[in-house]
Amino acid sequence: MNSILEWFGYVAERYDDILETTWEHAQLVLVVIGVATTVAVLLGVYVQRRPTLRAMSLSITGIFLTIPSLAFFAFFIPVFGIGNRPAIVAMILYALLPILRNTVTGLDAVPPAVVESAKGMGMGTMRQLFQIKLPLAWPIMMAGVRIASLITVGIAAIAVLVGGDGLGSYIQSGLTRLGLPNSEFSVWTGVVFTVLLGLVLDAMWATIQRFTTTKGQRI
Amino acid sequence: MSMTGAQGRIGYEGQEKDNPEPPPDPNTGSDATDAAPTEQPASWFLRAREMNLGLKLAPVAIALLGLGLFLYYRSLGLGTTAPSSQTSALEWSTKLWPQLTQHLTIAFWSTIIVVVIAIPLGIALTREPLRRYGPAFVSTANAGQALPAYGLLIIFLTLMGQGLTTVVVALAVYALLPVLRNTMVGLDGVDRGIIEAGRGMGMTRGQVLTRIELPLAVPVILAGIRVAMILNIGMATLAFLIGGGGLGVTISVGLKLQQNEVLLVGSTLVAIVALSFDWVGAVAEKYLRPRGV
Amino acid sequence: MSPDAKIRLDHVEKTYPGTKVPAVESLSLEVYEGEILVLVGPSGCGKSTTLRLINRMIEPTGGRIYLDDEDVTKVNADKLRRRIGYVIQQIGLFPHQTIAQNIATVPKMLGWDKAKVAERIDRLLTVVGLDPDTYRDRYPKELSGGQAQRVGVARALGADPEIMLMDEPFGAIDPITRDRLQNEFLSVQEDLRKTIVFVTHDIDEAIKMGDRIAILGDRSHIRQIDTPERILAFPVDDFVRDFIGEGSTLKGLHFETVDEHVTLEPYPTMHVGEDPTAAVARAREAGTDWVLLLDDQEHPTRWVPVSDLGGGSTVSSDSGSEVVAKVSLGATLFEALEQMLISEAAVSPVVREDGSFYGVVRLTHLNKAIRRARLEAREHYAQLEATS
Ligand SMILES: Nc1ncnc2c1ncn2[C@@H]1O[C@H](COP(=O)(O)OP(=O)(O)OP(=O)(O)O)[C@@H](O)[C@H]1O
Ligand SMILES: [Mg+2]
Repeated sequence: MNSILEWFGYVAERYDDILETTWEHAQLVLVVIGVATTVAVLLGVYVQRRPTLRAMSLSITGIFLTIPSLAFFAFFIPVFGIGNRPAIVAMILYALLPILRNTVTGLDAVPPAVVESAKGMGMGTMRQLFQIKLPLAWPIMMAGVRIASLITVGIAAIAVLVGGDGLGSYIQSGLTRLGLPNSEFSVWTGVVFTVLLGLVLDAMWATIQRFTTTKGQRI
Repeated sequence: MSMTGAQGRIGYEGQEKDNPEPPPDPNTGSDATDAAPTEQPASWFLRAREMNLGLKLAPVAIALLGLGLFLYYRSLGLGTTAPSSQTSALEWSTKLWPQLTQHLTIAFWSTIIVVVIAIPLGIALTREPLRRYGPAFVSTANAGQALPAYGLLIIFLTLMGQGLTTVVVALAVYALLPVLRNTMVGLDGVDRGIIEAGRGMGMTRGQVLTRIELPLAVPVILAGIRVAMILNIGMATLAFLIGGGGLGVTISVGLKLQQNEVLLVGSTLVAIVALSFDWVGAVAEKYLRPRGV
Repeated sequence: MSPDAKIRLDHVEKTYPGTKVPAVESLSLEVYEGEILVLVGPSGCGKSTTLRLINRMIEPTGGRIYLDDEDVTKVNADKLRRRIGYVIQQIGLFPHQTIAQNIATVPKMLGWDKAKVAERIDRLLTVVGLDPDTYRDRYPKELSGGQAQRVGVARALGADPEIMLMDEPFGAIDPITRDRLQNEFLSVQEDLRKTIVFVTHDIDEAIKMGDRIAILGDRSHIRQIDTPERILAFPVDDFVRDFIGEGSTLKGLHFETVDEHVTLEPYPTMHVGEDPTAAVARAREAGTDWVLLLDDQEHPTRWVPVSDLGGGSTVSSDSGSEVVAKVSLGATLFEALEQMLISEAAVSPVVREDGSFYGVVRLTHLNKAIRRARLEAREHYAQLEATS
């Protein structure tokens, strides 16, 4: 109990720096999610009805997600050097699968009868996609984005090991000063704020999802 | 995330490796009006293809990576042209091989612990009277994805000190939630009518659990174990941070010495290990799936 | 209490936790050995709850349940259920087990030996009309809905229980298959003589399947319990009348047959080649203007008007009109009515099994039969009231 209060004190003292570091962390995540969503949605729309390409892209993005994060970050150091960049690239590749998978399943879940009647009314392919398919698949796609966001928040804490920014720095500085005063508080700060950031971003996606889903689809 | 589905069931949103929906029935005759497929058959057809392709594609990727690593490793000229720091960091018999076995030992034990704890816990949380706490656990499991593995490891270091035990325990805690969640989702996904029929024939609760619910939940539980295993192999890469060894050591040496050669060998080796075990998991999922399901 | 009550519910009550109104309120009911008792009533009236109380899938909150006069309200529920077959709408076949394994479930739990179980599986598959060699090793997903429900019934019959509980067993099956399954089930029941409680919300299914029908209202209150004939002939109140709906009289015709009980009339007939004058005399005597022409196998072939029979010549083979509608002896009055509607006159010849002429049935016969059934039912209820 006491130490929790002390930790609050620790946080209060470094309030500014913690928020700034959290914001760094958030920026990493937002960049990753932004790029990954764009790529995965375009890819998903393209491959959904093309069985071979679809299977290939899902398998390959699945392989990405299997590779341990530190190793994946390290892969890109020879190309991008030390810093945020190798981490961002690796995390984009990680985030592809959840979004891609949910995009294709979301599009699958659009009732064929709806598409059929849209066609029957003379809607073109693009119009069908933007007016019918994507809006109907949107909630499922957003669920994928939320999973990707949660995963990325957690993994971004490792970026510090390859010279990147983010809340991992609090964990790292705690580790290097282990045994010294406040080192444990530093680690806890890194962990707690990472999880909090994950939840805040998740709530944000949920809100966006809510306001971008038509009333007819809300549950 | 919204966790509760219809009828207080534990719903969950499509995590990539889980396929809890049953495939549509290709052999259903014309007079079948029951069991209307909830999903369109086309998508299941596609999904089955995806799984099969994944099963074939992964070995190719693994073989290519392995071959590449082998050739690259040989081309480094270790012990001759390569710097001595590199040679010592990448020596197979004293560095890489022991690290590999350490890595696998860590991942193995933590996975075992996860299975031993999460499955019984998942069973308990889908029975009365604990059932109503189930959705809370599933929500936690989802939020837990944001938990930084790195931080968790250090927290356990501060609690338990350095060493293998600490690593194994930290990993087990981290990977517990996916298996727990999948156990619950799998058990909960068993059709009520099937359970009702079992009970109606006079099976005890235990018999219904062991003969019906668990066998039918096997695919989903296995998927959870596979996820846990991959998480553990990944997190074992960080074990070096708290003196637990593993292949992460080589990567960290590469980072420290700023030698791309060391980095590449270490990370490729880790990737090969992870992909291989994931593939084994996928094969197991395919063959341990009960027939008729 | 009737001595052959196989199942007896005595003021049974069920209030689900968290609800105030009981789903089943003080229900007393007897099911006789070897009968099919159908529970029928509007959705949510408590039919399933009642059924599930009998095998203690849910525990009663009051009252007693007896099987064979043994109080089973507190016995081990699992063991109890192994003595009772249970079929539900969702069927609930175990998808990871073959058809044979599914059927073997209860026999195995009861410790039957392997040979006996195997023999039983084949017997039961045959009973429900599935070829054992074809279906034994299939998985449930390899069956059609109708086949799956047959297996469901076979599985419930697994250990030869004396009692079967069936909750809308044919509810999810298309009408044509359902009709077939109902008929097959009735013919199986003819041999097996199980004591069956059958739940449906479809009054027609109830009429077809039930030896007796219990019409349930809210909270599983019995509004009327009786044979289908009597319920159709004499619905005790508006609730029951509304529930059986339009056409109850017509439905009642299903239960009376064209045989000795419906007094049939003779009819003037003549054979081909016979001297018509005698026939004309017979027609005069019977007060009709028609004669029924029979061929040499006594099959009725044509209706011939008396006016065609003047002049003493033999009947030409195309005089009068062809007999288009015939009823066989033992057919239901419903079928008889149908035949009469097809024929020009409100009369139809009745033939024996070999097709030979027996007599005729007229609309007035149906009329009488209906009135008699109603009268009987009314008297029955009057008597009931008098004794109670
Ligand atoms: N597990 C339960 N908990 C609370 N109430 C229940 C439960 N099961 C049923 N009920 C309630 O009890 C009443 C009777 O339900 P029951 O399922 O027996 O009806 P039913 O006659 O079988 O209806 P249907 O024809 O729709 O199957 C209903 O009002 C229902 O809402
Ligand atoms: Mg019901």
